[in-house]
Amino acid sequence: MIAAGVDVGSTATKAILIDENRHILARSCIKTGANVVKAAERVFRETVETAGIEEHDVTQVVGTGYGRYKVTFGHAQVTEISCHARGAAYLFPHTRIILDIGGQDTKAIRIARGGEVEDFCMNDKCAAGTGRFLEAAATTMALPLDEIGPLSLQHRQSIKITNVCTVFVESEILAHLARGRSPADVLRGVHLAIAGRSVALMRRVGLDPEITFTGGVSRNVGICAALEEKLERHLNVSPDSQYMGAIGAALFALDRALTGHSPAAAAAGA
Amino acid sequence: MADEYRYQGTGRNLQKDMLGDWFQRLSQAPARGEPVAYLFISGNIAELLSNFGFHLVYPEVTALQCGIKKTAGNFILKAEELGYSPDVCGYVKNDIGLLHSGNASPMGKLPPPTLLVCNYSGCRTYVKWFEALAEFYKAPLFMLDVPYRRDDEIDPGDLAYVTGQMNELIALCEKLTGKRFDIDRFRADLADTAKAEEYWVRILESARRVPSPFDSYFEAVFFMAPLYTLRGSPDCLRYYEAAWREIEERIAHGIGPAGEERFRVVVEGPPPWPHFRAFWEMFQRWGVVAVASTYSKVGGLFDQGVRHDPARPLESMAEYCMNCYTNWNLGLRRDLIRRYLEDYRADGLVIHSVKSCRSFSVGQADTREVFSNEYGIPTLFIESDLADPRYFSAAQLRNRIDAFFEGLAHRKLTGAAPARPLPVLEVRP
Repeated sequence: MIAAGVDVGSTATKAILIDENRHILARSCIKTGANVVKAAERVFRETVETAGIEEHDVTQVVGTGYGRYKVTFGHAQVTEISCHARGAAYLFPHTRIILDIGGQDTKAIRIARGGEVEDFCMNDKCAAGTGRFLEAAATTMALPLDEIGPLSLQHRQSIKITNVCTVFVESEILAHLARGRSPADVLRGVHLAIAGRSVALMRRVGLDPEITFTGGVSRNVGICAALEEKLERHLNVSPDSQYMGAIGAALFALDRALTGHSPAAAAAGA
Repeated sequence: MADEYRYQGTGRNLQKDMLGDWFQRLSQAPARGEPVAYLFISGNIAELLSNFGFHLVYPEVTALQCGIKKTAGNFILKAEELGYSPDVCGYVKNDIGLLHSGNASPMGKLPPPTLLVCNYSGCRTYVKWFEALAEFYKAPLFMLDVPYRRDDEIDPGDLAYVTGQMNELIALCEKLTGKRFDIDRFRADLADTAKAEEYWVRILESARRVPSPFDSYFEAVFFMAPLYTLRGSPDCLRYYEAAWREIEERIAHGIGPAGEERFRVVVEGPPPWPHFRAFWEMFQRWGVVAVASTYSKVGGLFDQGVRHDPARPLESMAEYCMNCYTNWNLGLRRDLIRRYLEDYRADGLVIHSVKSCRSFSVGQADTREVFSNEYGIPTLFIESDLADPRYFSAAQLRNRIDAFFEGLAHRKLTGAAPARPLPVLEVRP
């Protein structure tokens, strides 16, 4: 029995296939782009091809993320908040707090032992402190997005970035560079600024010793380091952290396949 | 069985007709040479002003009607063209934009004021709003300064302060209209008002039933309109007699607003008028009934025992002025929400924070913290605006609402207890 989770995010679309033992069979991640329906179809097809199976071998598909209703072949939709919680609780059973930083959203989620969401807080109306903020910094400095995290770790000093606006931060970065500050020092400031906002969000749902960091931005080592420094503790970061929403969606899909219903998926009108 | 459902739809339809007639009378007032008073909803003194034959204009109601009829966006832009900041209250900007568009509202042309009565002083912006109107219309502005509910008990000095101002206002109205204050009519109107308030409380408290026959937020915004705008007219009491029959009929037939009731919530904060239906649908698809709300108390906390009293006309009116929801301090508000959650057996609290209204939104982040982290009550915090359509982000709101009810559904199915035990509530006025 095979189940799939498809997470259509604002920036990236991810898919995961799992078998009845909850082992991951295939994963795929592509840019969402302008055609959300096509992105969902493509990423799903890629996982099916990687696993060497046919699409009809997949018993249940759950869509999640902002584009969850655009997963036209999905059997149910569950929000990425519930899916990140489910995925994180599966990979790290003792975690109670999840920080998810995606392309346009930052979420702090508090979960109960069973993985159900107890409380959550999100950034509102503003992309400051999200992946978009890092993209803006990378673009301004003409650096590939993948390089800014490692480069920030080479800082000698950290510069305080005071601007919280994703648009206006570009001119602040340029001003620091014009004053001769090193890119590493400036980037360190950028990463600390995001970490600071994220910690404030987490404090609103309550801090717990075990925190799991998910979402695309968790692949950035600079953010992980800045967060761990501010929180003074180690963060759980899975190599599959970007797929956490899709993993959770696949687990909900497997519930449906095995039992005919799952609490959150059934609740979502599935 | 044809007459099995004789009264369904009465509450919504009758108030709509009443408001339509009211706006028509307003548009005819200048031609008839009849006086017009502008005032605010919270703690309004409708019976006192109608005693002198004033027609009543509530710019807040005009603004919310413009919101529902989707004209507020253009009026707000007009005010911003005139220099009003994006941060200024959307109700105010709607009114200023409307004023500079010939006062042609979607409900009809609004008459200029003979008198402006700023009867709600809990919001500084409102004071400035009426000062701007007074300047524009060159109309007299009476500032009825209503002290904030700072403590558990009302200070007798505060009451005397308000009744003293009411006596000054009566003298001003006599001078402006040439009519004597008719205390007998005033007492008779207050007696009708008190009866209407009794019916309204019955309607509100019907939501204690499981399932609830009434939605105290999404339906209450319609059902509360006559009591908050048209008191002092015999139609007001007749409306609540009819509206109560609709609720009685729902109870008798076991029907309610949600189809199958799955979740019961308490709602704090005003609705987003320009997107009211879309917002309601985000909850309807989850089978949510708002069993109590704070917004339905902006025009008076009648379910907390507040009553107009013909035996104590000015004193009871002054008490009413002070006992509207946004005139209560944060601790009183918190305890009220706590009681609602318990008495109405709610599953969670929904806080809709609006950018425009600081009277509501100041303190809401703390309220969220207290209910979620201290009381262990599932609490949803969402943001948009009551008047400005630009602040409504459908995808973001829906995502949060869906996630919240997914979590509640999960808890119900797993039988999970609240995160923390509820502490004993001591303050109960």
